[in-house]
Amino acid sequence: MKGRVLNTSIMASLTAVVVVLWGMLASVPKTSAIPAFSRKYQTSCTTCHNNYPELNDFGEAFKKNGFKFPKDDEVFVKEPPVLLGSKAQKEAFPGAVYPGEIPGYLPIAFRYEGNFTLNRKQPTGGVVQNGFTPRTDIFAPNTFTILAVGTFGQNLSFWIDDDISVGAANANGGMGDGWLKYSDLGHGIGLPKNALNVRFGQFELDLPFTQAKSIYLSPFDIYGEGNVAGTLGTANNSTIFGAPQRGIEFGGTPNNGNFDWSVAVTNGSNVGTATRSSKDVYVRLSQKFNLERDPESRNAIQAAGPTGPRDHTSIRLGFLYYYGKNQQNQDGVPFPGLATIEEPFFRVGGDMRFKYRKLELFGLGMFGHDDNHLFTAGPPATTGVAPAVKFSGGFAGANYWFYPWLIGTFHYDAVNSHADFVNGAPASQYRTRNRFSPGFQVLVRANIKVVGEYQYTFGRPYTDLAGNTLFFRPNTFQTGIDYVF
Amino acid sequence: MNPSRIAAKAAVAASLIVVMAGASQANEIKGKVSVQGIKSVESIAVYVDAIPDKKFDAPKDHVVIDQRKMAFIPHVVAVQQGTPVEFLNSDPVGHNVYWPSISGNKKLSHNLGTWPKGEKKPFQFNDLGVASLLCNVHPEMSGYVVVVPTPYFAVTDKDGNFEIKNVPAGKYTLKTWSEDGKPTTQAVDVAAGTVTVDLTVKK
Repeated sequence: MKGRVLNTSIMASLTAVVVVLWGMLASVPKTSAIPAFSRKYQTSCTTCHNNYPELNDFGEAFKKNGFKFPKDDEVFVKEPPVLLGSKAQKEAFPGAVYPGEIPGYLPIAFRYEGNFTLNRKQPTGGVVQNGFTPRTDIFAPNTFTILAVGTFGQNLSFWIDDDISVGAANANGGMGDGWLKYSDLGHGIGLPKNALNVRFGQFELDLPFTQAKSIYLSPFDIYGEGNVAGTLGTANNSTIFGAPQRGIEFGGTPNNGNFDWSVAVTNGSNVGTATRSSKDVYVRLSQKFNLERDPESRNAIQAAGPTGPRDHTSIRLGFLYYYGKNQQNQDGVPFPGLATIEEPFFRVGGDMRFKYRKLELFGLGMFGHDDNHLFTAGPPATTGVAPAVKFSGGFAGANYWFYPWLIGTFHYDAVNSHADFVNGAPASQYRTRNRFSPGFQVLVRANIKVVGEYQYTFGRPYTDLAGNTLFFRPNTFQTGIDYVF
Repeated sequence: MNPSRIAAKAAVAASLIVVMAGASQANEIKGKVSVQGIKSVESIAVYVDAIPDKKFDAPKDHVVIDQRKMAFIPHVVAVQQGTPVEFLNSDPVGHNVYWPSISGNKKLSHNLGTWPKGEKKPFQFNDLGVASLLCNVHPEMSGYVVVVPTPYFAVTDKDGNFEIKNVPAGKYTLKTWSEDGKPTTQAVDVAAGTVTVDLTVKK
């Protein structure tokens, strides 16, 4: 009875919060406060986003063109750049600094996200694997992000984003991306437009589906999967796809962006300093097939019909491969008496995105494999070959635009890792981590969203071999606000 | 014929010519619009409202509204009922044209679709009222077609001046429409020559 009263109280509070939230948002005045490119071009977020931060066809073309309109960019720029030297200075080079330019507007934008979280009731009397999880948490992660994005003239573009505050703690989110890109490097040797670009710095890999700029409240689980053997051996690889990498990336989008390629050389330690001498390599290839019936739309940047623009009916198929050599014991500490242990690893996957009018379907499958060793302390200390540590999984989902401002979302995540199960790392009794996450997103304004997602995790708290009750992620409902300006 | 009768007939004929000339004389309504609580006096439509028992043929000449640099140009167009309007896209990006209603009547909404640079799409505005032109590719774009019942209309310049030419003598109702202000109505008596009218549009 008490529990029912408590639940009723929580639901009443939730309803009250949502009502107050809606009330507040309904009274928001008409805003022109939109991020950097909106200011530069005096255009709405919806020019490039169907549901920010996800890009629509035009937004993709804009991004692939080095943050410029695909045609006659200068016609649309409402805030002209500041020239760092006249264009004629090119003739004086190398006797003068090559002329450049900086944005005439302040290329700064901000984003705030805060959610209300309602967790599943935690079982009592058991060992709680991830610590105590309160039933509710208001305004988490409470993140404030600054973005500096723009162009330095015809070929150079830049992106820097940093979480100034997460959970009201100063800058503990740190920098996301920070890179400089030179577009159309192959122009001088006759390559098609944007067939060869180069990007330096810290960046999210050219993933089939972005994690950093995802529309979802919960991450794609497979992107967070490292590969740690634990009791099964020495493999201890924390490289994940869900965090940026530091490195150099060559890539291109010839054929009007229908074909994408990229090859990146990275530290492999995500945002940390290098932990091994060797570098990792990431390769991605994808091809978009335009399924639009109307021949005019097939050639246009955006498909269109009597009801206006929409993304093309299309399917993009892709492939990814990541290779590295995890090097351990370089300092001789973890495995005394042994030299460096080298454990090559790879990730391989395929992906698909299908767009039809208001519907978007997508999916990704991935397999991870790390060489592994058995360590014997000795003396003498020795290593032997152990079964490789593997994982597999992926995600599939759909988005549907009921209205341009009301989007239904859904994604299903699966990660299957025997090592995780054996070691009690986040895994259920089925050796898998499966999650079903339906949600909604409401664009209250082009730059303000109310979002919600229910995360249902398959597998309940269970008792492991040692008799401990393990509590893997509780089912959660999250709703909150997200705005950019 | 008696010279005096000839002279009298000539006088009558001359008088008729003068009267007829007066009836078809190019009278005009000139004036200036001032505003209260509105930022600009530009692009305010001023027109003669429907004249009882008087019908006008739809004009054959079309009007062109351009989409250039992601804006409808001109921003406000007044047209007589039945006027064909051509929507041109001069931008190197696709533009759409639609209006969700005409003066709030959603049954009169229309979507012309989306088309690329250099192409035009026509539409004949047969319903009186104001069509709010929108582009669903670029939501910041807006324009207005003010469909009026008579061929006597004008749109104010940047100083608020307007000039409606070729208005026959008579008593009319002058009306205004503006993007941000309330409609203004004023009676006007047009005689020979120019009538000057000052109007005030309030928010």
